[in-house]
Amino acid sequence: MPDSPTPTSVPADHPFRRKGRSTDGLFRAFFAGNAGLTIVILVLIIVFLVREGAGFFPDYRKELVLYRKAGLEFVDLSRKDLTAHEQMSSLLNRAYYAQVNAACRTEFQRSQEVSAVISYVSDAVAPAQSALERVQERAGEEGVPKELQDSLSAKYKELLAAALAGKPGEGLPPTPHLSSEERRQLLSELEARDPLSSDDPPLVVALQEQLSAKQEQASAPLADFRAAIDAFADASLDLDTLVAETGDTVKATKEAATLHEIEIEKRATLLKAAASAKTEEAKAQFETEARESVTTEPVEFKTALQPVLDRTPDFKAANAALAAALAEVQRKLPASLEDPKAGRYLSAFRKAAGEYERELSDTVPAMAAWKHDAPVGLGSTIMGFITGRDWITGGEWQDFYGIVPLFTGSLLIAVIALSLAIPLGVGAAIYTNQLAGPGEQKFIKPTIEFLQAIPSVVLGFLGIAVLGTILQETSMKDAFSWVPGFPIQQRLNMFTAGCLLGLMAIPTIFSLSEDALNNVPSAFAEASDALGASKLQTIFRVVLPAAISGILAAVLLGLGRVIGETMVVLLVAGNRIEIPDFTEGLGVFFQPAHTLTGIIAQELGEVPFGSVHYRALFVVGMILFAIVLSINWTAQRLLHKFRIGHD
Amino acid sequence: MENPEQLLRKGVHHEALKQGAVKAVLGGMAWGVVLIALLIFGRICWDGAPVLLKPEFPFVDTAFLTEKTETLHVFDDASGTRHSLPASEYHGWVEKHGAESIFNETTYSYSGGGIAGPIVGTALLTLLSIVLALFFGVSAAIYLSEYAKDGAFIRWVRLAILNLAGVPSIVFGLFGFAVFVLAAPVFTDTPSERSLLAIPLGFTWFSFQGWNSSLIAGSATLACMILPVIITASEESLKAVPQGFREASLALGATRWHTIRKCVLPFALPGILTSSILSLARAAGETAPIMFTVAVAAKDDFPWEGATGPLGVLQSQVQALPYHIYTLAARIPSSDYTQRAQYGSVFVFLLMIFLFSTVSIILRNRVRSKLKW
Amino acid sequence: MRNHIRFTAASLVAGALLAATAGAQTISIKGSDTLGAKLVPQLAESFKSKNPGVKFEIAAEGSSTAFPALANGTAQIGMSSRKAKPEEITAARAKGIKLKEVEACHDMIVVIVNKGNPLKKLTKDQVAKIFTGQVKDWSEVGGTPGPISIYTRNTSSGTYKDWQTLAMKGRNYAGGSQKLAGNEQIAQEVAKNKNGIGYVGLAYAKSSGVHDVSIDGVEPVASNAKKYAYSRACYYYIPENAEATAKSFLDFAVGSEGQKIAQRLGFVPN
Repeated sequence: MPDSPTPTSVPADHPFRRKGRSTDGLFRAFFAGNAGLTIVILVLIIVFLVREGAGFFPDYRKELVLYRKAGLEFVDLSRKDLTAHEQMSSLLNRAYYAQVNAACRTEFQRSQEVSAVISYVSDAVAPAQSALERVQERAGEEGVPKELQDSLSAKYKELLAAALAGKPGEGLPPTPHLSSEERRQLLSELEARDPLSSDDPPLVVALQEQLSAKQEQASAPLADFRAAIDAFADASLDLDTLVAETGDTVKATKEAATLHEIEIEKRATLLKAAASAKTEEAKAQFETEARESVTTEPVEFKTALQPVLDRTPDFKAANAALAAALAEVQRKLPASLEDPKAGRYLSAFRKAAGEYERELSDTVPAMAAWKHDAPVGLGSTIMGFITGRDWITGGEWQDFYGIVPLFTGSLLIAVIALSLAIPLGVGAAIYTNQLAGPGEQKFIKPTIEFLQAIPSVVLGFLGIAVLGTILQETSMKDAFSWVPGFPIQQRLNMFTAGCLLGLMAIPTIFSLSEDALNNVPSAFAEASDALGASKLQTIFRVVLPAAISGILAAVLLGLGRVIGETMVVLLVAGNRIEIPDFTEGLGVFFQPAHTLTGIIAQELGEVPFGSVHYRALFVVGMILFAIVLSINWTAQRLLHKFRIGHD
Repeated sequence: MENPEQLLRKGVHHEALKQGAVKAVLGGMAWGVVLIALLIFGRICWDGAPVLLKPEFPFVDTAFLTEKTETLHVFDDASGTRHSLPASEYHGWVEKHGAESIFNETTYSYSGGGIAGPIVGTALLTLLSIVLALFFGVSAAIYLSEYAKDGAFIRWVRLAILNLAGVPSIVFGLFGFAVFVLAAPVFTDTPSERSLLAIPLGFTWFSFQGWNSSLIAGSATLACMILPVIITASEESLKAVPQGFREASLALGATRWHTIRKCVLPFALPGILTSSILSLARAAGETAPIMFTVAVAAKDDFPWEGATGPLGVLQSQVQALPYHIYTLAARIPSSDYTQRAQYGSVFVFLLMIFLFSTVSIILRNRVRSKLKW
Repeated sequence: MRNHIRFTAASLVAGALLAATAGAQTISIKGSDTLGAKLVPQLAESFKSKNPGVKFEIAAEGSSTAFPALANGTAQIGMSSRKAKPEEITAARAKGIKLKEVEACHDMIVVIVNKGNPLKKLTKDQVAKIFTGQVKDWSEVGGTPGPISIYTRNTSSGTYKDWQTLAMKGRNYAGGSQKLAGNEQIAQEVAKNKNGIGYVGLAYAKSSGVHDVSIDGVEPVASNAKKYAYSRACYYYIPENAEATAKSFLDFAVGSEGQKIAQRLGFVPN
């Protein structure tokens, strides 16, 4: 930055300066105050984020203490096993069905094709059909007026005929797996269908039967496998009941404790209201209500928990049963399954079995060591927030606030955005600055700058309305089936959001990189030219290295913009609060996710002021603020430190 | 052995080829970005422009801009003809033809009528926030360029400006919510429970309980957000005024303030105003800061209707275009009937933003060429 | 600091005048998206066509938003798809506002799947297993093979909590569920995802691209409201000392004409 020219060429004690000095001082102070406003705002932002957020950890800790005291944590020790068991049996089930269904692929395709045709036709006739239904419903005793019935029926027939007349490919979906006879049969059945009946045409029923027959046939050789799976799945029944029963007990304890607290608080609020009441009457009323407000006794956690702890032997037995079932099923599992997908599930089960076994064996000691009155440290609360893998709010059981899934979401989206924006932004900047003619420059620069002016909510809208659908439909094409993660299931996912954010980061990276390239003294390039270097050598060996710190700063500022962006991710990222499944390789980018910014925007409007959840969102805001500021700060440092040709 | 001449030519040829390829790749990137930008703009125009245009004279259909937002009713009549009517016309239609002649009705919230409410809301919001930001921002810039000497205070101010410029918009939303909505001071007869500090004044209370979700809270939030941009732009414009102007004025015995008022500000003002139009575009375009501080999804009356006095307007919540688009994008499924509202709003919004940006760029160039010292 | 004084002074003036002004003839309604996205706007439009001059302001961001707004006096009527919690009632009471509960209509939460999904029926148990994430593939419940994608409302919604109680025995949603802003959005996403499943209010079950699923053999249609597993009542909340216009609007909403509109939109009248 060039030195600020201070217009003080007149000496301070010069007579010219005396006149009006006092008012001048006043103005000076006023302007200085306004300059200080920026500091005030920044301080206010920090103060209020901290003020609202700081209360989070003690409050959350209090919730966690109650979670432990009431025994929810104890039940969760077993529930964890139960969930793991369910995941394991789901894996086996999927392996089984994948194997069975592998034999029935054609049948599935056939019935899918048929239902596609039916749903196409029903959509086409829907207006007339539902009108007919409405008329029928309304008719009552007098019956339907003849003309109306006729006109609607005619309309129905007309629509139906139009729908059926369409050739495959133009309207009517194609049915490559049906014989032409079957297709004819289907169409004629549809034509003959009573507009008011919702029964399936006979062909559909026949196909269903074919499918189930085939499934039965395919499952016959797998009967042992099926039995093993069922035995494995059923092994958890005891634990399931046990967890449900004890879960109810501890939940009741927690609710009673919460209710008591609410009542005490209610009394306090009412008493406060009474103290500031205007009329005697209102005051008396508030006081009566306050007296009546506390109806419950404080909860005695130890006694309330005793029945649950008494069932520890049952828990142990159930745990042992699970372990036994695991050993049993592992013995009975088929060595391999033919279908590759089924085989994958099976090997996933085998891989997870060790982990699951360890988890099971850990539970009993953990239960023995568990104490309801062990303190919850503030440090562990904070760590729980920072390393927590669950962000569960508004639940009936227990709310958890863990930032990891949100952070991963933000990070992955930023990675996608930057891997698009860096090459495009920097490449475009190099081209525009070094290679393009002046005419091109005049067109490219303003267009890319216009891109910056597009508000993020508009890009978000386009993501929902256009880009998401286009990407999804493209991914369905067979030609792209080799891309990991394709076909995309969820229309709203990280990749779509990342593309749009990349688009937002491009102008930032482009303009700043262009500036950086511009700032390289022309002597550098001239010297290089004079030494006989080619244009490319000059650009990539001389100009680019000289501008690299500026370009890095540009990338960092782009990253700051991407991380801090809200509307696009709120609308397009899919809002799934889970750590993405990294086992899918690059396909992970096509999963939905939630982000630090998105969660604030989605949940702040709803939460009661001052609740733990409300404070949690401010803590997220604090973290976001810190991340973005440190990114920007690093960028500024880079810019200042390595500036060439200045200072 | 090959002819060295040939070798050289071959090398040159090779080099030229490489250069061409690299140039093509880089050019492809640049033009690719341009193409994407044009595609986006084209798509919005393609679907959005028809909302504002009509085939016969005067070719512009202002109904979309002047009507309020309504529910859209889509239904068939007895003869199977499809109608899509906004609620106001729909009720008339029902009265005329009877409810029995309506079939297959579907309704789309916020998709009928026009977007007068959001336009007015956004206009008020941006206007108010730019006024606030200009007042404080220009004053701060005057201090920075005319009075300040290097020192700790100035360093802090510059650091604050730099950092404020990078704060994510959602954090401004949180800040505005916590400060303006929940904690800003008001006079009230009954201090709210959430009041941070209530000072009794005898006849009333001075209570820090916030302005609720209101126009003033939203504008203040947006003003904080664009303040750094305005300060930086204003400072640049002030510094562009030649030193001689000030020296001449001071030499004639004018006070510092007089000098600034008569000899600096008038010359810097065009520059300040044009660059602030750019921040106007930013203030109009942001959604996250206004989500919790001012915006509502549906509102029947304009802010001044039913409000008591000009300050009732400040106190009212408004619809805003970006929030309206968010509502349409997040809650209303796209279908043939909602396209008009969705793309129409987006088109109008973009038009507005681009108008601001273009005007500011053109003005900036004119100011630059005009004020050459 | 000088600027601080100015700032305070400016806000003082603004604040003083803000505080002096009173609420206008506008009825402000806040709360549930289930009621507020379609039903209440149409009730309001119909009410307006009979009582010109009345204005409405409707914000439908979820049931939990209704009660703070009522307590702060920023809304005259609250919409909720669940009963108010005791602490919410108390919070309003402490500010001198006694809330009256009015049953708006009944609603059935309908499970929807993609139109291309041949699955027509599920049991309560299967639904619970799907939404808690125990079942991850359609083949496990007898459908066409494919990984299940779950779409739910977000946490501010009354439906989100009702569903947890009604269908999931209070257990947590599967981690893989996607939380969307409203019924319409769920219907739209399920329509775009052939392996999608979600739940919506009955009014939204007829959206294009999706079809509903019968639960334990009971079709989700209005006439089955009593038998259907996932039925619930929706409520309006109004302060006892509310203005006459707000009261008369509520009377209209629960009166025969209002209920007719509710029925037309797919709600079940009281």
